[in-house]
Amino acid sequence: MAETTHGIGGLKYDKSKRSWPNELNIFFALIIIVLIFEALGQLLPYMNGQSMLFDFNTRRDGTILNIARIKIIILQVSIIGIIALGVTQVIISGGIDLSSGPLVGATAMIVMSFAQTELVNGNPNPKAVFGEWAFDLPVIVPLIVGLMFGALIGGINGTLIALTRIPPFIATLGMFLICRGIAQWWTKGQPVSFPTESYAFIGKGMMPVVWFLMLAFVFHFVLKYTVYGKHTYAIGSNEDAARMSGINIKRHKILVYMIASMLAAFAAIVLSSKNLTAQSGMGPFYELYAIAMAVIGGVSLMGGRGSIIGTVLGAMVFGVIQSGFTYVKLDAFYQLMAMGVIIIAAVVLDQWRQQRAALRS
Amino acid sequence: MNKILLTASLAAFMATGAVAQQIGASIARFDDNGLTVMRNGMTDHMETLSGASLQMEDAQDDVARQLDQINNFIASGVDAIIVNAVDTNATEAMSQAAAAAGVPLVYVNRQPINMDTLPDGQAFVASNEIESGTLAAFRMCQDLRAQGKSGGAKAYMLMGQLSNQAAVQRSKDFHDVIGMDMCNFITLIDEQTANWSRDEAQDMMSNWISSGEEFDAVFGNNDEMAIGAIQAMKASGISMEDVVVGGVDATQDALVAMQAGDMDVTVFQDLAGQGAGSIDTAIKLANGEAVDKTVFIPFKLVTPENIDEFLN
Repeated sequence: MAETTHGIGGLKYDKSKRSWPNELNIFFALIIIVLIFEALGQLLPYMNGQSMLFDFNTRRDGTILNIARIKIIILQVSIIGIIALGVTQVIISGGIDLSSGPLVGATAMIVMSFAQTELVNGNPNPKAVFGEWAFDLPVIVPLIVGLMFGALIGGINGTLIALTRIPPFIATLGMFLICRGIAQWWTKGQPVSFPTESYAFIGKGMMPVVWFLMLAFVFHFVLKYTVYGKHTYAIGSNEDAARMSGINIKRHKILVYMIASMLAAFAAIVLSSKNLTAQSGMGPFYELYAIAMAVIGGVSLMGGRGSIIGTVLGAMVFGVIQSGFTYVKLDAFYQLMAMGVIIIAAVVLDQWRQQRAALRS
Repeated sequence: MNKILLTASLAAFMATGAVAQQIGASIARFDDNGLTVMRNGMTDHMETLSGASLQMEDAQDDVARQLDQINNFIASGVDAIIVNAVDTNATEAMSQAAAAAGVPLVYVNRQPINMDTLPDGQAFVASNEIESGTLAAFRMCQDLRAQGKSGGAKAYMLMGQLSNQAAVQRSKDFHDVIGMDMCNFITLIDEQTANWSRDEAQDMMSNWISSGEEFDAVFGNNDEMAIGAIQAMKASGISMEDVVVGGVDATQDALVAMQAGDMDVTVFQDLAGQGAGSIDTAIKLANGEAVDKTVFIPFKLVTPENIDEFLN
């Protein structure tokens, strides 16, 4: 098909050959999935013609949207979504981060120990980790402790990967185990509960969504318009080329992993606040779900390609599917299988689209 | 190790005379919360008995180490052995070793794989898992009746990991209870897994609430999920007076929720009782008394009326 331009391309601008931005495809996929669930709601006999996103029996607040369901769709993915924002950057830079799930568990345990309240229902806190001094600390203390811990773990991840040049998969897999270990060691497996009111506010109600969208906005801007962002894409696309053009690869990689782990640590803070408890097993499979969100959102595991908007949409796909399963009362046994099929299908479709786009140009 | 045991048992013999019962116990791991409660139950009970002594070993979650410990107990001539199995699939060898030496063996808390072929002089002490879900579900049924909902009530159930025996059993118990004549006014709207997790339960409950369907009860396979459901309901402005919420475990968090009037029913697994029961059973076996192959320590129902017994 290509008759004139070869090589670097793009010199001759041809509007017909410009493809849609990838994000638009994911958005359409999202709409299609919603439509499928709406159709199931009408077709399945036991659903009594219920709608997923609309509310026709106007028992509620007069709007025709089912606000409660729309809220939960996004609320249930916001916390993993925050992790996915960091994972997106790591993957774009050509790496991978498997340690984020256990890091959530470890950070939650540590942070919650600094956020405990002294009295529960007028009785002394039955789950106290430290002594008197650690009760009712201002909320900034656990926040800083958590983010510092995230930065430390991310810094170690990044340093290992940048300096020893071991594969990111291995480095972060090791950190996966270390963090799970830390989470269990911290209180020897005991859950930590009963935080102060100001700490509980961080994850109260729709606050996780607020944090997720706010951070998404910030990192969308950072990736798109700052030197940090441009270097991240450059390293992921072609590391040698990036090095030769004068980018300090090592320093930049460490920074990317630090930011990713700090985001995971922040997710842990929101999660433990939302649940008013911290447990060493918290964040099960979060690292994989975060990667899946990014990948569904069009982030390439080969590096160099993807965006925050894509990942946010990928997270939304997750949320819609999860709520959709409950809405059509799909048995729990089938949900994991269906989820697996959808993840694979999303990536296959994306690959196929990429190949076609490559052929066209 | 042998030497220490030997001197310990010698010392015990000299101190208390020949009637003293020397018991050796191998615990799967010392740093497990639940097992620690059980272990303390054993030592506390031991102090009330005169003329018996207990040697406790930590198997550190290592199957091989546990078998070595049992052989060490046998070699040092204990009168009975108590095993809290690291791996319930590996109990055959332990049973054989003890039976060959003629030493009574008591399994505690974790059911051995060779339960059906347990040799004479061996027994299993635990709580009957069937009780926990049944106790909670039946009490919820009574609560709903007391609220005048016997004309029809709707319930949701949050299940634990589907691969877990306790989750499967407790879910089945709930189904069995609402299948009874007295409780068949309860209909289950939906049941989903939340993997024992408070967070997943919170999201699942919010999803259910978003369907707008009215409901009267929520049963969690464990307390964590019941608490997650409570948090979601409170966030949606549902009055906890109107919903009966039940769980299993009687964790500190659940007791606090019950004090606050949010949680209605939970069930306490008497681990300390299991520990004490294992000692009693071991002593009986050592004295040559007949003992049931399975000794059940009952679960205890916890409600706002008797919560004070469980707060410490």
